[in-house]
Amino acid sequence: MKAVYALYADPDAAQRAVNSLRDAGVADADITIVSSEPLEQHELGRRDHATWMFWIAAAGGAAGLAFAVWLARLTETAWPLPTGNMPIVAWWTNLIIMFELTMLGGILAAVITLLVTARLPDWKPKLYDPEVSDGKILIGVANPSSASVPAIERALHVGGARLKTLG
Amino acid sequence: MNEAARQDVTRGLTPRERMSDDLLRPLLQTSWRFWATVALLGSVVATGLGTWAYQMYRGFGMTGINMPVYWAFYITTFVFWIGISHAGTLISAILRLVNAGWRRPVTRCAEVITVFALMIGALFPIIHLGRPWLFFWLVPYPSERGIWPNFRSPLVWDFFAINTYLTGSVLFLFLPMIPDFALVRDKTTGWRHRVYGALALGWQGTPKQWHRLEAAMQIMAIAIIPVAVSVHTIVSFDFSMALVPMWHSAIFGPYFVAGAIFSGIAALIIAMAALRRFLHLEDYLHPVHFQNLGKLLLMMSLLWAYFIFNERLTVWYGNEPAEREVFLVTQRGSFAPLFWTMVVCNFVIPFVILSIKKLRTITGCVIASFTVVIGMWLERFLIVVPSLGHKYLPYTWGQYRPRPVEIIIVLSTFSAMVLLYVLFSKLVPIISIWELKVGEHYVADATPRAAAEHPLLKAHP
Amino acid sequence: MAHRWGMAVDLDRCTGCGACVTACHAENNIPTVGPEQAARGRAMHWIRVERYWEGDFPDVRLKFRPVMCQQCDAAPCEPVCPTYASHHTEDGLNAQVYNRCIGTRYCANACPYNVRFFDFFNPQWPKPLHLQLNPDVSIREVGVMEKCTFCVQRISAVQTQAKADKRDIKDGEIKPACAQACPAKALVFGDLNDPESEVSRLAESSRGSKLLEDLGTLPKVTYLARASDI
Repeated sequence: MKAVYALYADPDAAQRAVNSLRDAGVADADITIVSSEPLEQHELGRRDHATWMFWIAAAGGAAGLAFAVWLARLTETAWPLPTGNMPIVAWWTNLIIMFELTMLGGILAAVITLLVTARLPDWKPKLYDPEVSDGKILIGVANPSSASVPAIERALHVGGARLKTLG
Repeated sequence: MNEAARQDVTRGLTPRERMSDDLLRPLLQTSWRFWATVALLGSVVATGLGTWAYQMYRGFGMTGINMPVYWAFYITTFVFWIGISHAGTLISAILRLVNAGWRRPVTRCAEVITVFALMIGALFPIIHLGRPWLFFWLVPYPSERGIWPNFRSPLVWDFFAINTYLTGSVLFLFLPMIPDFALVRDKTTGWRHRVYGALALGWQGTPKQWHRLEAAMQIMAIAIIPVAVSVHTIVSFDFSMALVPMWHSAIFGPYFVAGAIFSGIAALIIAMAALRRFLHLEDYLHPVHFQNLGKLLLMMSLLWAYFIFNERLTVWYGNEPAEREVFLVTQRGSFAPLFWTMVVCNFVIPFVILSIKKLRTITGCVIASFTVVIGMWLERFLIVVPSLGHKYLPYTWGQYRPRPVEIIIVLSTFSAMVLLYVLFSKLVPIISIWELKVGEHYVADATPRAAAEHPLLKAHP
Repeated sequence: MAHRWGMAVDLDRCTGCGACVTACHAENNIPTVGPEQAARGRAMHWIRVERYWEGDFPDVRLKFRPVMCQQCDAAPCEPVCPTYASHHTEDGLNAQVYNRCIGTRYCANACPYNVRFFDFFNPQWPKPLHLQLNPDVSIREVGVMEKCTFCVQRISAVQTQAKADKRDIKDGEIKPACAQACPAKALVFGDLNDPESEVSRLAESSRGSKLLEDLGTLPKVTYLARASDI
C-alpha cells in the first residue's frame, strides 16, 4: 500500500503535525494516527465520536435476561418434577440464573462490539511502523493522491520529524 | 538504580525502552532454572492427574468420605480456589474504577491468578462426583433423555456463576493483552513474531481502537464486580441452602465473599513477591505496592474476624442444640486445634505484622499472606466437615480422616497453579506494559512543574 | 383418589431385634460392605435401628428406634439434586432415580435424618451369594446414591395386580420387607389418604409424633412412643 507518514517523539509534536495536515487540506478521516498507548489528553486522541458500547452492553444484558427467563420456564415445564414442596417454576431460584445470564450477555455484547468496531481481528497489512512500539507516534496519510504528496510532506515536516514513504 | 538500569543509561536507552526491555526479558530469555521448575511442577501435577484416574478406576471409596461426612477435602479446596480467584477482580476492577494509579503494575498479575484459580477450582466439582464422566449433565442442553438440569439446585447455580465469571475473567485478562502482544510482535522475529502477531489480532493502535478498548475495559470492570460477588455468594449457597447445623445461616453470603477477597489478596501478595524476586522486577513492584496491599489485607483480616465473631456469637447465644454441638466440637472438641490454628493464622499473625509499620515490609507481608492462605483453607475445612459430622441425629454422627488420594490431589492443584503461572509469565508480559506507560505519562503531567518564584513547599505569606 | 403412602412405627412393640434391617438388605439387594468399610462408617442400612444409652450404670436405660427414609412431603433432599435424581412422585414417595444420579452427594448432606447412602465401590456378590439377589430390584453401580423406597417394587406389583383385577388395593395388602419381617408387628404401612387404614388410625394416635418435626420436612412416618415414656 502507498502511504506517507512521519514518526514523532511526543504527543505535542504529533498534535502540531495533525493541525498542519488539516491546514494543508487533508480531511480528518484520511489522517491515520497510530500510537502505542491511548492519547486521551490530546485532541488527536479523542477524535472519533462517542461510542454506543455502553448501550449495546445494556442491550446484551437485556437479551441475556430474556434468554434466562425463557430457558428457566422451558426447562422447568418440559418435564415437571416436583421437588421439596417448591413450585414447578420457582422464581426465587430462577432469579439467580437470570442474574448470571444478564451479566454474561452484557459482557459478551461489550466484547463483540469492541471486536467489530475496532475491526479486530484483521491481519491485513495496514499503515504501521514497528517504531511505534518504542513510543513514537505515527501520523500519516494512506493512499494519497500524487498531487497532494508534496503538501503532505511539507505539513509532516513540522517539528523536524523523519519522513518515511511506504510502497 | 540497579545494575541493568545503569547499563541501559550507558547504552542510551530511554526509560520507556528500558521498561519494554525489562518486561519482555522473561519472554525472550530462558535459563535452565525455568525448565527445571517446569519439570518439577509438571511431575507433581502429573502425579495428581494419575491419582485422579486411579480414584475413578478403583471407585470413590478410595477417599475418606463416609456417612455422614459426604463432603470434605475436595469441596474445601473447591471453595478455597474459587475464593483465591477474587484477587483479580478486586485489584483490576475496583481499583480501575476508582482510578487508583498504583494498580497498574499489579493488574495483570492479579487477573492471571483469577483465571487460573477459577479453572482449577472448577475442576473440583468434577473430581468429587461419584460418576464424574457424567458431569456434563449439569449443562442445560436438549438431551435425548428429555430432561434438563434442576435450576433449583445450588450446584446448577454454581455452573452458571462459575462459567460466567470464568468467561468474563478470561476476556478481562485477554483484552488488555492485545496491545502488549502487538509490542512483542514488533520486538521479536521468527516464530515469536508470527505467533504474537496472530494473537495481537492485527492491532494497529488508532485512537478509535484505543477508545473502544478502554470503553470495553470500563464496562467489563463494572460488570465483573457483581459477578464476582455473586459467584462466591452462590458457592456459599451450596451450604446455606441445606438444613445442616451451622450451615443454614444468612451470614454465609457476605462471609464467604469477604473471605474470598481476603484469601485473594494474600495470594496476590505472594505471587507479586515471587515475580519480583524471580523476574527481577524490583523497579516495577515497589515496597509501596506491598504496603498498600498489606493494608488491604489487614482490613480484610479485621473484616473476617468481624464475620466469625458475628456467626459464633449468634450460635453461642441462641443455644440451639444441634448448632451448639457443632460450635463446641470446633471450639473445644476434636476440631479445636485446627480452629485455633485458623484464628492465629487468619487474625493474630496478620494483625501483628500488618499493623506495625516496621513489620509491614515485603517479607512481612509475604509471611502474613502465607499464614492467611493456610488459615483460609482451614476455615473452609472447618465449615464443611464438623457440621456434616454432627447433624440432627446423634446416632449418625461420624468422623472424617483424609486419605492419600485426597491429599495428593489437593496438593497437586497448588503445584498446578504455580506451574500455570510460571508458564504464563514466560509467554506473556506479566506487567501490562502499555498501562504502565500510560501511568508514567499521567504522573508526569499531573504534577505541575514548580517555577523558581513559586517553589511547591514554600508557604505563602 | 391418589394414594399417599406412609408408615407408623410402634416403639412400644419394637424389640430392637434388627429383623427389619436384614429383610431390607435381602429384599433390596443392598450389599454388605465388609468389616473394614463398616468401621469407616460406610455401612448401607436403608433402615437402621438407632440405639441411645441413657444414665450411668446400674441405672442404664436403652432406647432404640428404627429409622428409614421418612419420604418427606417437603423433602430437603429434592431441590438440591442437580439432575432431578431425587424428586417427588404422585404417590407422595421421594424417588431416587439411580440412572440420573451423578453422585454429588448433596442430597445426603441436606437430609437431616442421614438416611441416604452412597455406593463407594461396585458391590460384589461372590458366588453363590448372587443367587439371593431379588430380580425385582436393580443393582446400583459405584457412585450413585440410594435409600429406602418403601419397597416401591412391592407397591408397583400390588398396584399392577389390583388394576388387572379391576379392584382397589386393600389395606395391608402391600407390605414392605421390613413390615413383613417384623416379629412384633411394630411396622405398619398403608395409605394415609385412606381414613380407614391402619396407618391413618395410628397417625392420629396420642402417642404419635414425627421425627425432627420442627424442621418442617413433613415426614410421613409416625413414631408411637413407648407406654413407659409417657
